[in-house]
Amino acid sequence: MTTANADIDPTACPRCRSGTIQLLGKSPDAGIWTVFGCSTCFYAWRSTEPEENVNPEKYPLAFRLRPEDLANLRVVPTVQPRRSSS
Amino acid sequence: MHAYKDLREFLSVLGQQRQLLRIHDQVRLEPDLAAAACALTQIGADSPAIYFDRIAGCSSARVALNVHGSWSNHALALGMAKDAGMRDQFFEFVRRFQQYPGSLEHVASAPWQEMVIDKDVNLFELLPLFRLNRGDGGYFIDKACTISRDLDDWDNDNVENVGIYRLQVKGRNRLGIQTVPQHDIAIHMAHAEERGEDLPVAIALGNEPIITLMGATPLLYDQLEYKMAAVMQGEPYRVVKTAKGLDVPWGSEYVLEGRLLAGQRETEGPFGEFPGYYSGCHKYPVIEIDRVSHRKDPIYDAVYVGRPWTELDYLQAMTTSAPIFLQLKTTFPEIVAVNALYTHGLVVVVSTKIRYGGFAKYVGLRVLTTTHGLGYAKIVIVVDADVDPFDLNQVMWAMSVKVNPAGDIVTIPNLAENLLDPACTPGGIVTKMIIDATTPVVPDARGDYGMELDKPQSTEAWRTKLSALVKEMRT
Repeated sequence: MTTANADIDPTACPRCRSGTIQLLGKSPDAGIWTVFGCSTCFYAWRSTEPEENVNPEKYPLAFRLRPEDLANLRVVPTVQPRRSSS
Repeated sequence: MHAYKDLREFLSVLGQQRQLLRIHDQVRLEPDLAAAACALTQIGADSPAIYFDRIAGCSSARVALNVHGSWSNHALALGMAKDAGMRDQFFEFVRRFQQYPGSLEHVASAPWQEMVIDKDVNLFELLPLFRLNRGDGGYFIDKACTISRDLDDWDNDNVENVGIYRLQVKGRNRLGIQTVPQHDIAIHMAHAEERGEDLPVAIALGNEPIITLMGATPLLYDQLEYKMAAVMQGEPYRVVKTAKGLDVPWGSEYVLEGRLLAGQRETEGPFGEFPGYYSGCHKYPVIEIDRVSHRKDPIYDAVYVGRPWTELDYLQAMTTSAPIFLQLKTTFPEIVAVNALYTHGLVVVVSTKIRYGGFAKYVGLRVLTTTHGLGYAKIVIVVDADVDPFDLNQVMWAMSVKVNPAGDIVTIPNLAENLLDPACTPGGIVTKMIIDATTPVVPDARGDYGMELDKPQSTEAWRTKLSALVKEMRT
């Protein structure tokens, strides 16, 4: 089982459209799939996934993110302040 | 009762009991694995576990799914007969739960130490990770036990924690972890952050079936999951210490060791979660993995999470019902049984003897104030002692004839609730409801309840005889 997409490097994150794409891993059996990740929104995808997960044009609207909104996400749990040294 | 030494032994028993389906055809990581696990939940109540050993791109990988995904598999996990009913499984689970604590058996080495990767760790290549639902933000490890200790109380075994938390694989050796403040690991993390130190963690993946159930049970902070697993399996729980001093199950398939990074939060999610909705994105803590150990030909174990029911609902079934039952029983000895099977206990059905008119509503209020009830129980249905809360036909009968909405519905507005309940308005706040489906008794003189029907004489004797005959006919 092979895919035509495996060797094409993506240029934009399917979810947030940033260009910050990293190659994260390759299939242990050579040439079958490649995993990419976005270092802006941390979305990850495999070259062989259904197109809605790999193609920015087909990525479902409901799950899209805007890079500028990421800073406003709720922090859970809040970071604990350091104890004062006594 | 049975102490399975590892996941492999349990899979072998499932195979012998015809509760394991082995797929030798080649499959894709996406969408085949999640689709198959989802489909299994739709083809009958007694669905088997499923095992894949020919996966495109990673031909040496083995993946097990739906291992706990039916009442038969749940019964076999507890070492009970495959056909044990829900009610019998509940009472047996509760009986063992009350034997706490059991003990640990420390041994020096484990099969998972055979293969070690401690540089250039790449989880995307070491593990057969796969997407569960199309909107998930990435690949999640969702059935592993995360083990941690309290840096302020390092040698206290009772506050070591074994919990199942969703872990998003975000980088080659980088995970996001969901810990809400109620989780025990959040206490360990808070203490570590106050000290300005990273928290050592071990992530044990692919385990015998009992510790997975214990990791999903809301135990008290000073109750150790291994000691509860020991009483659940009837033997001391076998563990091995990591170099950092964390106890890890002897039988694990993979062990990931790393550090929960002090003060760091990063974008995580969404993930298709237990209510049947995506969780949204948050800034969650981060774990860096330094070392991966695994057995030869390791088996990757995962749970499909989707719109209920899925395997996850079995992991959260008796493990949710038993602690609520025992807390209620401390206050009200009249409580007979608790069914908190539905969506992690967002709906709870309680059967109870009735002390006097109006008593059932107090039982419902007490459910709301149990530790689990605070964040989950939203609708509480109280039924009489002779109604089996695990038999929805009986519960619906009680609702049909014993409820007059004019006096039997209590709603309490603006109570705290788990953020993942999509009905909350605003997030984390919801109105809760108690439905009194018990027969009014003095001095509650409402209704016109005459004589309830019972069974003809010798029905029970016939039931025993016919059950055996039907079983014989079908084998």
